[in-house]
Amino acid sequence: MNPSAVIYLLTAAAVFGIGLYGLLQSRQILRQLLSINLMGGGIFLLLITLGGGADGRPDPVPQAMVLTGIVIAVSATAFALALLLRWHELSGSTELDADAIADAIADAVADAHDD
Amino acid sequence: MIGLAIDSVLALGIVWLALQTVRSVSMLQAVLMFIVFGLLMSLAWARLHAPDLALAEAAIGAGITGALLLVTWRRLQADGHDPVDSELPAQSKWLTIPTACAAALLIVIVGWIALQLPAVPGTAGDLAWQRLGEIGVSNPVTGVLLGFRAYDTLMEMAVLLAAWLGARAVATTYRPGALPGPVHVEVPLVGALLSLVVPISILVAVYLLQAGGSAPGGAFQGGAVLAAGGVLLFLTGRLEAAPRTSGLERVGLILGIAVFSLMGLMVMATGGHMLALPGAWAIYLVETALLLSIALSLVLLFAAAPGLRRMS
Repeated sequence: MNPSAVIYLLTAAAVFGIGLYGLLQSRQILRQLLSINLMGGGIFLLLITLGGGADGRPDPVPQAMVLTGIVIAVSATAFALALLLRWHELSGSTELDADAIADAIADAVADAHDD
Repeated sequence: MIGLAIDSVLALGIVWLALQTVRSVSMLQAVLMFIVFGLLMSLAWARLHAPDLALAEAAIGAGITGALLLVTWRRLQADGHDPVDSELPAQSKWLTIPTACAAALLIVIVGWIALQLPAVPGTAGDLAWQRLGEIGVSNPVTGVLLGFRAYDTLMEMAVLLAAWLGARAVATTYRPGALPGPVHVEVPLVGALLSLVVPISILVAVYLLQAGGSAPGGAFQGGAVLAAGGVLLFLTGRLEAAPRTSGLERVGLILGIAVFSLMGLMVMATGGHMLALPGAWAIYLVETALLLSIALSLVLLFAAAPGLRRMS
């Protein structure tokens, strides 16, 4: 077995694990987005490592899929950042927690009734 | 041997930067660590014989994503403080590390088993290599993106457009000065820098597009480099947010999807399969449209504005 493939497999697993840890331990939306992007990076690395990238002729199909994945990741991140800015505008907070969300929903419902 | 040493150092660097991204107290530091993480990832792609990904990661993953994260951080900053994580409840806190370790272990096990499997001939990748000649390009990744899996690429453009539409829909307030802080319009070096960097970004984007047929590159990498030029023009105040999306911008945003779909349908009219682009000229035509749409979408997402206009 190619030792480089093993190194990158372990890296992929570590990066995914760190991303999941970051997602779970933080309430800051910006940090959660960074963590989700880390998790994505770990999965991309796994796909390419298993696609034979470490030896011989690389498989172009996983490469094309990861390239698509990178563009989808930046699109989703950009949309999420727009949501974050809106959330900050509405609630004054950069964090997500159950109480804040419940308050925001209650406000929105009250506004809708006023109209 | 040297290769193995490089891989090990890269791997250690990537894991360390990922840890710093989630552990930094300062959110700005976390964002910066993530950008450097992207740069090391692009070196890892180069080591894994995926130069197309290396370019995409550097331009999109580290570059554009980093710029978007930084500008959002800056906009959140406008009212003062660097947000800091609040404490989690104790019971959740103790579960995070075991959960993350279990997920990592699962990936190691799955990956380890997959690496042990014998190579099976006749995979999609083998077919792509064998039939690359029919597509008219010699870069296999471009061949897969625009030839064998063109649906994916078309839908990817739809996702980018949807992301922009979504971002527009939630940003209800129009803020012309969406980017707080002084804009150094009058510093003479800025003009000199722009007159150098912006033409180079256009040149590099066109080169990447042209090279994409036979060498690493393509519409996505080129689009991101062109977008970087646009972001620079916005940051230095040469372009400013406009309250409306102009007709030209609307055309630009849908150009990629429109040209791609029309070409795909035209092929059907002449008896071929849908989206089976007839030769290299069609691929370059579609990629040019994709490049313009990608660049415009990314700059508009960065500006968080309906449109752009020249600074009055």
